[in-house]
Amino acid sequence: MSLGSTQKGACVPDLSVRIGKLELPYPTLMASGCYGSGEEFEPFADLSQIGAVVLKSVTREPRLGNPMPRLVATPAGMLNAIGLQNPGIDWYLDNEVAKFAKRPCVVIGSVAAFSVDDYAYVTQRLAARAEIAAIELNISCPNVGSEGETFACDPDLTGRVVRAVRAVTDKTLIVKLSPNVTDIAAIAGEAESAGADALAVINTLRGMSIDVHAWKPRLGNVSGGLSGPAIRPVAVLAVYEAARAVSIPIVGQGGIENATDALEFFLAGASAIAIGTANFTDPRIPIKIVDELRAYLAARGLRSLRDIVGKANVGFGSPFQYEGDVG
Amino acid sequence: MLAGPSVRDVVVLDRTELAPGVVLLGFYAPELVAVTRPGQFVMAVPPGGERAATALAIYEAQGERASFLFFVCGARTRELAELRHGDKLSLTGPLGNGFTFAGARDVAIVAGGVGIASVLLPAQMLVEAGARVRLFYGARSVDFLVDRDRFATAGCELCCATNDGSLGHRGFITELLAAAEDKPDLILACGPSPMLRATAFVASELGVPAQLALEEAFACGVGGCWGCVVPLDRASPQAPKFPKPAGDDGFVYARVCKEGPVFWAHELRW
Repeated sequence: MSLGSTQKGACVPDLSVRIGKLELPYPTLMASGCYGSGEEFEPFADLSQIGAVVLKSVTREPRLGNPMPRLVATPAGMLNAIGLQNPGIDWYLDNEVAKFAKRPCVVIGSVAAFSVDDYAYVTQRLAARAEIAAIELNISCPNVGSEGETFACDPDLTGRVVRAVRAVTDKTLIVKLSPNVTDIAAIAGEAESAGADALAVINTLRGMSIDVHAWKPRLGNVSGGLSGPAIRPVAVLAVYEAARAVSIPIVGQGGIENATDALEFFLAGASAIAIGTANFTDPRIPIKIVDELRAYLAARGLRSLRDIVGKANVGFGSPFQYEGDVG
Repeated sequence: MLAGPSVRDVVVLDRTELAPGVVLLGFYAPELVAVTRPGQFVMAVPPGGERAATALAIYEAQGERASFLFFVCGARTRELAELRHGDKLSLTGPLGNGFTFAGARDVAIVAGGVGIASVLLPAQMLVEAGARVRLFYGARSVDFLVDRDRFATAGCELCCATNDGSLGHRGFITELLAAAEDKPDLILACGPSPMLRATAFVASELGVPAQLALEEAFACGVGGCWGCVVPLDRASPQAPKFPKPAGDDGFVYARVCKEGPVFWAHELRW
């Protein structure tokens, strides 16, 4: 079923969002690790029509990354275990960051580390650069042994790392949470009280796939992070639970492929969304989602995307009749 | 000015099954043809598909028509194999760095199975440039040595090998390469990984430079996700210029989709 088109003369709904100090013209972020530095996708998507690119995570020291294979296709999704391959913060600042000024969209840096001190060190140096509008703290990478995700799996560690990073930058701080936890609301609350400006919910789910002919794990790293539509219901619930625990904005992500999927996240409580795996199917998807969101809001006479954030009602009748999928 | 790589919807023109599970899919794409270089690939997906796109080598590229030649081996290739005249297909590309062969006079092209899909364009261009081109073409049986007449017609000398001896040498195609009388001045190869490794070995024994077109599972296909890497000598001009991590032993992971898919055999650290 179609969304209906924006009628002539009707006001165009406002899709802009505010995340901490960031004002984004569109609510669509390109998820970290899936979009390179944006440059790789420039021939295929008009970056001036997306909200922001979240860069691939950078660490203090250079990292070789995990051995191959790093990818496995799975039902309705994929497993990845890249292992934070990156040149380290020194080389990154000298050779990469200046190029980000040319992007026609907001650029958000992503920081990964293995200690509280290193999170603060890398963040301080990266956030000092004018090309970087905000910092996403990747405290939830599942593919670098036990160290990477530890921070997002323990409320106390989450609080410590966010406080340390908050002390070194005034730029908008988005904390990326893991779904591989018992109580995401508690961790979301801890991140907020430690000074996070926003939360990214969720990183990938841990998973494994085995080749039954070779009797071997299919990933060089043995385990990997599951993404794609397979994880969407998990992500929607995580956003719903986190949104009820905090008052800072949430960037919802996990298997979003179209406007219908995106709307689930907004209604669950996300102020913005991030798109990762779907760009591997078609890099035009983020722009299509924006068009469809606009039409969805216009067809219902809504002036702003903000009007629907967190409006999924529990225990009450819907204000609308069921009309089928919108996308 | 010619457009660069882009994402576009194209229309399927023809579809032929050349051997069981081996499909030739032609489509109308004059803009793609105009910018394609030999050895490049595209990410292909039926519009509205729910799976990630699949990387396919550009087989033919002439005038208004380009084609893929592929083996049906999973859900996505099965979906692509079911397309018919008039169906739409979404393509991102052309992508990657292809073969370089300027100045080569005597070239041996080694193809295994559907590896043949990457080597028609370089073969045609080399013959046009006046080079001698020998195609060393191996497959499991004669039925899978698909489309070999086209190479003969294009002016290539054919040497074939099959696992079962149903045509040509019974054994591996790289055995024929090793036994060839005149030494080529360049080797280009595409095929299964064991064949590429054997080609690299033979090339090094012969002292002939070899370029290998690698196949790998891609997620993005454009260099954004770092999922399709291969260990490459740090000294290679194609190697990402990253600083050495602790415990470095001389290689860096390069992206098959971005820095490749064609690499010099002697620079690979596999």
